[in-house]
Amino acid sequence: MSDATMSAEQSAEEVWAVEEGEERSVGVIHIVITALLIGIGAVVGAFGSFTLPLGFGVNFFWPAIAVQNVGSIWFGAWGVIAAALFPIISNGVAGTPVYVSLAYIPANAVQAFLPAWAFRQFKGDPRLRKGRDWAIFLISITLGNIFGAFWGPMVVLKSFGLLTTDSLPLFIWGWFAGNEIAGIVFGVILLKALSGVVIRSRAFVKKWFA
Amino acid sequence: MNKTILGYVPEESPIYNTHPATRILFLLIVSLFPMFISAPEWNLLLVVLILILMRYSRIDFSILKLYVPVAVSMGSIILLSYTVFAGNHPEFHELARVLGIRIYYERILDAITVYFRILPMIFIMIYFLSTSRERDIIVAMRSLRIPYAVTYLVAMALRAVGMVIEDFSIVRQAEQARGFDPVGKSIFYKMRKFVMYIIPLFALALRRADEFANALIARGYSFTGLLSNPKRADYVLTHYQAHYWDYLISFVLIVMLVALVVMRYGLGMLSLEGSLTEQLLRAWLLN
Repeated sequence: MSDATMSAEQSAEEVWAVEEGEERSVGVIHIVITALLIGIGAVVGAFGSFTLPLGFGVNFFWPAIAVQNVGSIWFGAWGVIAAALFPIISNGVAGTPVYVSLAYIPANAVQAFLPAWAFRQFKGDPRLRKGRDWAIFLISITLGNIFGAFWGPMVVLKSFGLLTTDSLPLFIWGWFAGNEIAGIVFGVILLKALSGVVIRSRAFVKKWFA
Repeated sequence: MNKTILGYVPEESPIYNTHPATRILFLLIVSLFPMFISAPEWNLLLVVLILILMRYSRIDFSILKLYVPVAVSMGSIILLSYTVFAGNHPEFHELARVLGIRIYYERILDAITVYFRILPMIFIMIYFLSTSRERDIIVAMRSLRIPYAVTYLVAMALRAVGMVIEDFSIVRQAEQARGFDPVGKSIFYKMRKFVMYIIPLFALALRRADEFANALIARGYSFTGLLSNPKRADYVLTHYQAHYWDYLISFVLIVMLVALVVMRYGLGMLSLEGSLTEQLLRAWLLN
């Protein structure tokens, strides 16, 4: 039986299940995939930061959110680590001060962590086969983006004295919409197009680290 | 010429006489300066000093063109945030009323203060990225005794950024060869079509991950090996040495930071009240 046929027959539970006798351990491939995710995220994120910037790393359209969401679903904690780190590079290239970028780390980490956790906890299929998988994806990324949208403007930008209280809603909506739309559009396409390949690769992470 | 993260800088630039760790320290410490300075004229002076430093370091000023839209966008947003979206404040001096929106003197002053606080931070970041090569960041991290696995991850990540940019260019040329032409199209069209780049980029990265990992394993790398700080051949062969001026610069930066904190919170200096900007703006807008 070919790998492709096996993958097509795998149920959502089987995607995440560690088979009897199957040994999974952290390897060099995970370090490599983290580095590559940082690379993709930094380039894609910088593109977003230059396209429709609201300022201070907040954008009306940020396609790098898809790298955060999809990377963490496929590669677990490695995707979360990459998601937390790559905005420091992409924001930096776009002129965001280093301390603002560092303060965004919790928001970026949560935006990546929630989809990763939801797919593992509720055994969602990364190939988005059923309505349930779609619901897990949409709800998890929405909750992550809500957290990010509040953390970024309310905690970071407000504490740096960059925004007034009255202008917070603009930035909260800007962050949320910029991430949500791009996350849904690119996240869905990436998951549908590449999940079948990724779950068969040795880089795929079933638990959190391996 | 040295290829840096943002462009090219001549090899004989004086900036390369300093140790990379000193440059990281410069980024981290000088980025803090504007946080203790409220008076816009002092922050403007900091911008001018960084521009002088850029000239001294022989950085091509054309790199700044890339940041003009960012600076304008940030300025506009800060201004909008502090005027149009600033709400009603009867306690402030109302300057004008446009379409029912009240514009206050205090809010304009706040917007200018915030903008001139963020501007030096952007210039410091540009200066750092314009003068730093991938290897500089790695060397700096190693000098600061950051664990091997972390340094290696950062090295690979920085290399990956370069590779993804190359991949991006290849994918774009491939799309153009097939007749895709986004020139003159709206920004929304370009955003929609961005999917044509993101999928190939991911697919290439996945394929490359295997090649990368196999190459590392073939050279004896293992995850435990990465974590346990073994002695390995260093791919950065240039040996950097910290000179006395590196220690001197670091010392001066720390002293300046302490001095700023004392001036701001001990002596009440560098504040907005009584600053030159405040006096000029008050004279212009209120009198």
